[in-house]
Amino acid sequence: MSVILETKKLQKYFKTPKGFLHAVEDVSLQIEQGETLGIVGESGCGKSTLGRTILHLLEPTGGQVFFEGKDITNVRGRELKELRRKMQIIFQDPFSSLNPRMTVGEIIGEPLRIFRVTRSREEYSRRISELMDLVGLAQRNINSYPHEFDGGRRQRIGIARALCLGPNFIVCDEPVSALDVSIQAQILNLLQELQAELGLTLMFITHDLSVVRHISQHICVMYLGQLVEKAPAKELFTNSLHPYTKALLSAIPIPSIHAKRERIIIKGELSSPINPGPGCRFASRCPHATDLCRETTPELRELGPNHFVACHLAGSAG
Amino acid sequence: MDNNEVLLKVSNLVVHYETHKAVVEAVNNVSFEIRGGETLGLVGETGAGKTTIALAIMSLLPKNTGRIVQGSIELGGRDITSLSAREMRAVRGRDVSMIFQDPMSALNPVMRVDAQIAELIRLHRHVSRLDAARQAQEILKKVGIQPERAGEYPHQFSGGMKQRVVIAMALACSPKLLIADEPTTALDVTIQAQVLDLIRELKDASGTSMLLITHDLGVVAETCDRVAVIYAGEIVEYGTLEDIFDHASHPYTKCLFATIPSLDKDVERLQPITGPAVNSADLPEGCSFCGRCPQAREICMTHDPSQVEVAPGHLVKCVLAEEGLL
Repeated sequence: MSVILETKKLQKYFKTPKGFLHAVEDVSLQIEQGETLGIVGESGCGKSTLGRTILHLLEPTGGQVFFEGKDITNVRGRELKELRRKMQIIFQDPFSSLNPRMTVGEIIGEPLRIFRVTRSREEYSRRISELMDLVGLAQRNINSYPHEFDGGRRQRIGIARALCLGPNFIVCDEPVSALDVSIQAQILNLLQELQAELGLTLMFITHDLSVVRHISQHICVMYLGQLVEKAPAKELFTNSLHPYTKALLSAIPIPSIHAKRERIIIKGELSSPINPGPGCRFASRCPHATDLCRETTPELRELGPNHFVACHLAGSAG
Repeated sequence: MDNNEVLLKVSNLVVHYETHKAVVEAVNNVSFEIRGGETLGLVGETGAGKTTIALAIMSLLPKNTGRIVQGSIELGGRDITSLSAREMRAVRGRDVSMIFQDPMSALNPVMRVDAQIAELIRLHRHVSRLDAARQAQEILKKVGIQPERAGEYPHQFSGGMKQRVVIAMALACSPKLLIADEPTTALDVTIQAQVLDLIRELKDASGTSMLLITHDLGVVAETCDRVAVIYAGEIVEYGTLEDIFDHASHPYTKCLFATIPSLDKDVERLQPITGPAVNSADLPEGCSFCGRCPQAREICMTHDPSQVEVAPGHLVKCVLAEEGLL
């Protein structure tokens, strides 16, 4: 397997009246061709910003992004437009990400028109029909408007639009968070089928840990802009090493009355990401924090095969 | 409150929303009881009628469209559906109070949080301004908001802290019944864990009963004593935690469990519930779940089953139960 996407010390800061908000801080990760990489974290941890910075929907402040071995950190203009054919995004909210005044056919076909992919009207309509079949939308809906659909089918329209130009890498930004569980399962199955059929590589951003375990091969956990742990999906759930990951996992309510486990309640809430000082950002809430944690930022260390942790104490006796 | 006494008794409740285009049958013949100190979970998907039931109990249905067509809601033995608006105002906040899903829209953005709580206390108790302010500070302290922050405005708090303020407000007059409508849906998991623990602690300390509305079966497993699974405005299954989690009988309940990705088991494919969600403005003649039910038969299309007690206290509304096939 080859690496399709890689980031090196990627940073994204936003300017605010109070100083710079460090939304993404030195994130280095790799995604292999054909796999699904899950990105989990709580609201405000920078997971969506990371996805958007990789896609050039936001310009990175520092660091590098490589796609298919090529440095795409500073691509502009025509080159960037060409890149869009290969990298796409599915948005969280299927209500606000579809133009209410365009029909389903127009929404799905818009990328074809922008990139002048199809040569004739027949080819254009045929491609739209193919895409609708692919995502399970009935042909009779081609002239309907987004408001006529429920959330699940609206999300299918968004998926068809993302697949339109035949991309090989798609960022899925919380694609099922706005949906009911029964619909959520349909969309997750659809994404997995499409991935197998088209050989897609997915970066799956979510706050839902059971969803991410189900769909990903590797998982990255983010906290306040930093990558704190990266591991194979199952390994993360059985053998998490970072104190934040442990607390996060223990906080998920399990739908069973026999699940007995110790809950680690972490006190307090996220500290401010504006002009953060040095040191581990989780230190203020971490039950094991020492002076070292408050003074120096921990680097990612490989403590098991493919299992990386950014914690001074992980692996040692503590 | 005595633990065996029935605090809230909802019988045969029917609520319709009427517009000039259609009548939406949001709640159809729902009955349940909550005893003193007990927590009942109301589980279902979007549009199942969970919030409508809560609003009917609070008498907060939208004035021009929502209407209780039939049924009674008894709180401590008194039917509150027939109370006047004025009498209901005295009940709301003192006997029953509600925690809403979105804490931002439940708070007044231009009023300090301690003042909002003091206002509520003065409305229901004859105390001086000073006493009300002191009581407000005390209850805020109980939910973990320090006195130096009590004088701040809602926008100065984070989501989790705002929900704490809302909880403080709901519990300020020690109500007998607390209705929590998706209290943690807008919160992150670690904050959700804090808030659920807080609600549980305060509830146990004061002996308050609770109606918890949620779509998250994990939250139900951790908080409730009894569960009502609701689909298209009807309770399709009702029982203790054990009945629902270990002996789920209604096909819809089973489907709900099958759609959730597991945290410790590997599942190749999830089993989604197929078919379109039911339209409450146009309910089918027979069982309302039959269009999506994997076990549906011909009789389900025309025959609307009644609730059957499959085990003591465990009610199932399904043709299969009627025929003793479960």
